[in-house]
Amino acid sequence: MAESKGRPGSAGQRPTGGDKAVATQKKQYFRRKKVCRFCVEKIDDINYKDVRLLSSFVAERGKIVPRRISGVCAPHQRRLSDAIKKARNIALLPFAASI
Amino acid sequence: MRIYEELFIVKPDAPEEEIDQFIEQMKGVVAAAGGSVDKAEKWGKRRLAYRVDKYREGVYVLFQFNAAPETVKEFERRLRVSDHVIKFLTVRIDQTLKRLDKRKKERDKRAHRKATAAPAPAQASVSQQMLGERGAPGEPAPAAE
Repeated sequence: MAESKGRPGSAGQRPTGGDKAVATQKKQYFRRKKVCRFCVEKIDDINYKDVRLLSSFVAERGKIVPRRISGVCAPHQRRLSDAIKKARNIALLPFAASI
Repeated sequence: MRIYEELFIVKPDAPEEEIDQFIEQMKGVVAAAGGSVDKAEKWGKRRLAYRVDKYREGVYVLFQFNAAPETVKEFERRLRVSDHVIKFLTVRIDQTLKRLDKRKKERDKRAHRKATAAPAPAQASVSQQMLGERGAPGEPAPAAE
């Protein structure tokens, strides 16, 4: 019991859907439930031309933000990454941005 | 026939008239092959996210057309041959449009059902309750008498 608590792979410690705001070393977590922005705002079309929307899902260096961080659901993340890759191809978004 | 979207970048130092002329020419290519151009927009000069052929900005042009697959081949060939175009992207969008249309329809239907259905069950349940209340005491009453 005590061993499984400390293991990083155990279910309690896995950061799925949780916020990164882990308070202390004790088992007191503050986890805000993340929700998919596309589901909430009912955005059906994730278009590669919509740079402003896409750039909010791209990190500073130009990497695609993983959904464990952004909270986007799997079907939308798939379409999102597709759109970002298309936008990169036509120079709307960078492949690797310099800071 | 399929619907395509073609976004290409023209060199920023190309003269305006030549760009317009080129757009007209590309419209002609689609029309000649039996397709129809739905949209031909010039976004104007934009900064590129990275350097392309030593250019840091470019004029974006968006085409949307309905054509056969062979037409796209010819269209792309023209873009490749052209001196002014530095980058292009072709996307087939008819399936996406169809999917979006379906999603929208579903959403509208659900909203409509919600709007119409919400008051209806409430009324039904109330009337059933009223009936139940009225029916239950009403039935034993004659039996007792």
